[in-house]
Order: sequence, then structure tokens, then C-alpha cells
Amino acid sequence: MKASLTKKICIYLGALLLATVIAVPVLWLFIMSISSSTHLTTLPLQWWPDEPTFENYRSLLVFAENSPSASFLYGIRNSIIIAFCATGLSIIAAIPAAYSFSRLPGPRRKNLLYAVIAIFMLPPVAIVLPLYTVMSALGLLNTHFALIIVYCSILLPFTTWLLKSNFDTIPGDLDEAPIIDGANRLQAIWYVILPIARPALGAAVMMAVLLAWDEFFYGLLFTNDIRAKTITVAIADLAAGRVADYGLISAAGILAAVPPVVLAFFMQKTLVSGLASGSVKG
Amino acid sequence: MSSVSLFNVTKSFGAADIIKGVDLSIKDGELVVFVGPSGCGKSTLLRMISGLEEITAGEIHLGDKRVDHLPASDRDIAMVFQSYALYPHMTVGENIGFPLKMAGWSKADIEAKAREIGDVLQLLHLFDRTPKQLSGGQRQRVAIGRALARDPKIILLDEPLSNLDAALRVDMRMELARLHRELGATMIYVTHDQVEAMTMADRIVVLRDGIVEQVGSPLDLYLNPANQFVAGFIGSPKMNFWEAHSDETGRVIMPSGQAVVIGDHVSANQKLTVGARPEHLVLCDDPAQAALKGTVLSVEHLGSDTFVQLHCGIGNPAQIDINVRLAGIVRVSIGDALALTIADADNWHLFDKDGVRLDQGAAKAA
Repeated sequence: MKASLTKKICIYLGALLLATVIAVPVLWLFIMSISSSTHLTTLPLQWWPDEPTFENYRSLLVFAENSPSASFLYGIRNSIIIAFCATGLSIIAAIPAAYSFSRLPGPRRKNLLYAVIAIFMLPPVAIVLPLYTVMSALGLLNTHFALIIVYCSILLPFTTWLLKSNFDTIPGDLDEAPIIDGANRLQAIWYVILPIARPALGAAVMMAVLLAWDEFFYGLLFTNDIRAKTITVAIADLAAGRVADYGLISAAGILAAVPPVVLAFFMQKTLVSGLASGSVKG
Repeated sequence: MSSVSLFNVTKSFGAADIIKGVDLSIKDGELVVFVGPSGCGKSTLLRMISGLEEITAGEIHLGDKRVDHLPASDRDIAMVFQSYALYPHMTVGENIGFPLKMAGWSKADIEAKAREIGDVLQLLHLFDRTPKQLSGGQRQRVAIGRALARDPKIILLDEPLSNLDAALRVDMRMELARLHRELGATMIYVTHDQVEAMTMADRIVVLRDGIVEQVGSPLDLYLNPANQFVAGFIGSPKMNFWEAHSDETGRVIMPSGQAVVIGDHVSANQKLTVGARPEHLVLCDDPAQAALKGTVLSVEHLGSDTFVQLHCGIGNPAQIDINVRLAGIVRVSIGDALALTIADADNWHLFDKDGVRLDQGAAKAA
């Protein structure tokens, strides 16, 4: 089908609009991050700083005790530890869970799946108080471990559901064939199902890391100093002082986006799907 | 030993009985074909032998070992799936070598064995391709290659040719028959195609609704079908059937009104179903001797054969259409009146009101 010219123009205009809506705030964030605070508060507003400066980045990245950089760098470290541990644990648990939901029979299993979704839908506010009490009683407040556990409970339903829907698309013959070939169920999953589901695994890891990386609510409530504060909380702290340094906050925002972007760059190849085609007739 | 024995094997899904007490004994090295209409339970039965499906009751023995409690991976059976079920992320070589990897072979041994099989199946030039780069026939061969990797004594094939086009199917059929001869392995083959069954099988198992209707050699089933279902299922084109009855002396009254003596098991005034294969009907020069008379509805000239559909509108029953396969070229056209009979009385098939074959004396030699 050949699209008419008007249709083409409309599609490109729409795409342009969407790209603008997404890109402009990021661009503005970047401009703010290279402006001095005086520039940002002058009227009328200047769209581009007279003297672009990377001072904000320097003050965040060069470590100094009791400075914004300490808070920021520890925040990055804590976020990396927490996001990756929570993602790893939840993927490890989600694979067998998703396989069982996808492949093994039983009406009770189905109900459990809906329970999983129901838990995922629960607003964090509803369970934060009991969780806080539990963590406090266990002496886990302000530790990585507390946030890893809490994030796992958020990530697990999500990754399980995502992997389950992908496993559903893999023909059943493909887990029966390895069993006939002498593999046990775990080997069938390891050698056949997981390699085929690699794009979905990549997507699940990516989304889980992002979800954990961006989490703010539990991070804010369960941590109180640089030992466990995550990056989102650290950035918020920059704004919480007597004077909010918008340039510094913007630079922190840009830098905080770097690890997920790097991850996405390396996982790009994995995310490209289409592996399952050709396994069965065609 | 690689015989397969089933003793009163049943399978139920909830209240639905899929396999209803199957007893079967398959000899070492035999090629047995399970055939039947879709939903008859033939694939389920195969999966029960493989271990992919649990049995509800009964016993399965491979050789002299009872296996129905063993998982599929411990039964040492190979299987070719209808969908081929090739591993899409592995090359042809890795696909064939996978069962050996699971059996803990060394890399070098796996490579050597996979190449040996690739050589037999003419796959060596495709060894480094992935399944999606192969044609249907090549994928089929890889699936067979993977099944052969462990030198299995028993190979199960679940409609392996149903995804291939007609020409390729004939080739693969011959190739499978050759492999069976060379390997001497016991093969169980599921198909709904009775031509595949007739051409490949040492013995055919005809299934309907989870029950074995008949077990026998292809010709045995063709010549002596145990009941009307088997008679209708085996043979192409299908056997003609019509309702009839016998007179006081036990002769069968044909639609033309002609009374024919068929065997010595027909009692007086019995309701019957008469069966006649299209290829056994011949033109009858003397209309007085004809069993069937009618007008030609359609003619198909194939050169080697002439297929005629005959509408018999006289006598009892009032209306039947009969398919006839006449050898060679027969000059008939639509609307012609034809008279038919069967030369050899042995080629009539009689079934009682329950569809069970009325034995016509000694069974014909297969």
C-alpha cells in the first residue's frame, strides 16, 4: 500500500512532535547543567549560557568529604548495588516462576498468577508502614539489603509476568524435545528455553534495572545517610537545602541517566528479537 | 531387546476417556503405524509410550523392562515431532549433537558422531546453518538426524511428513523406509494418511475413539477388515457400502434385485451392510447377472484408470451412489447405463448390523 503524501507528512509531523516533547526537557536539563546559577535566575531568561561551564559536573564527580559530590557518588554506588542485586535476584526467581506459570497445569497456579498481578497493582503507600515496622524490627533500616528485598517484591511480579508471556509464545514441543533427548527439566530450560527467550530476558533485565534505578519512595523512607541512600534520594537532597542549586541538580540528573543508558547500549543486541522463528515448521 | 508392549493402557483427562484400554505388542525391529481419524488418540498413545504423557492405568514395557513410571528422559526413546521442534539457536550440527551432549559425551565424540549422521542424511554441507536457514525437507532431515544421534532402539515419529509437500513426502517416505531397514530399530509411526500407513508399515494399528479397531499387515487390513470402520478407512478411494438383507436361503439381495451367494455365514432374512471396493467392481456383460445397475453421474479419465460414479436408483435400497475404478481406458459418458458385478465372490464384504465383519469362511491370504 502506498501512503499518500498528506498521510506521510502527518506521520512525520507526529513523530517530530513526539520527539520534541521527549527531547526538549532533556536538552533543557543539559543547558541548565552547564549554566551557572546566576544565569538561571536572571530575567529575562537566557536560552544559552554566555559561558558554558562544566563546573557542576566537576563538583559532583570530584570526591570531597561532606560535599554534594560525596552524597552523589555514594548515591550512584548504592543505586548500582541495589538495582543490580534486586534485578539479579528477581530474574533468578522469575525464570522458574514464569516457566511454571507458562508450562505446568493446574487452576490454582492460574489463580496465583492473578495474585501476583494484584500484588503488583498494590500502591506502595499501602504497605510502606508495615514494611517499615518489619525492617526496623529486624534492624535493616538504612541498609542495602532492605531496599534489595523491597525492590525484589516490586520487580518479581513484573519480571515474572513479562517472562511468562514470552515463554507462552515458545512452542511446547521445544521443551518436550530436549526431555526426549535425555535432558531433565532444568537442562531443558537452561539449554533451550532461556537461549530462545534471550530477547525477553534482556528486556526484563533492562526494565527491572530502570524500575529499581528510578524508585524514590522506598528509597526516601528506608534510608537516611550515604551508607544506603540511592541516587534518586541523593538528587532530591540537593534540592532540599536552603538554596536549591538548579545547575547542580541538573548535572546530577544528566549523570544519573548515564548508567542505564550504557546498559541499554550493551543490551541492544540482546533485545533484538526474532530468534524463535524457524524452530518449527515453516 | 526393543519390543514395546502395552497392557490395558488407558488415559483420561478428567471425565473424558481418551485411550480406553489398549493392548498391543510390537516386535523388535518392526515398523508399526498408528492410523486413524483426527481425535482418535493415536498421538496421545504415542506420547504415552514416549513418556511425555502420563498413563492413567495399565502398563508399558520396553523390552522386558516396565517403564510407565519412568520419566521420558530415562526411557531411551527417540522421537521426531510433527513440528520438528528443532532448537532455533543451535546449528544443524549442534541440534544433532544435543542428545549426546545431554548423555555426557566429549566434544570431539559428539562432533564425530554428528558428522557421521549428517553424512548419512546428506546434511554435511548445511552443518553450520541454523534451522531458519533450512527448507522444510532439510529441517525434517535434521529432526530425524537428532533422533538417530543416540543410536536409539526405539524411534517414535509423530506425523513427521505432514508439513511437507506431496513430492517431498514421497521421497522422505522412501528414505524413512530405507533408514528403518538399515538401522533395524523399532519404529512407531503416527499418521492420519492411510497411504503412508499402507506403504510403510509392517503392521498397521487402526484406532478409533481410543480403541484399537484392528491390528494387522497392510494387506490383511485391506483384504479382511475386521469391521465396517476399518473397511472404510483403509483403501483409496473408499469402499462402497449399502444396506441389504438376505432371503430365506441366505442369499444376499443386491440393489439390482439379483440374489448372490456370499460365503456360508449369512443366515436367512438377516439385515446386512454390503461393502465393495471400487477397484473390485467390473462391468457385467449380461445385465441379468449384474449386482448393480445404474446411470453414470461422472467420469474421470486418468489413463491408467477410469473413475466412474454410478447412480443406482432402482431396486432396494432406492438410492445409492457407487464409486467404481475401472482399469485402463473405458469409454463411458455421463448418462450411460452400466451394469456391474464383482468377479470373485471373496471380494464382497459383509458386515452385520453392528458393523462387525461376517466371516466369509476362511480368511483370505494376505
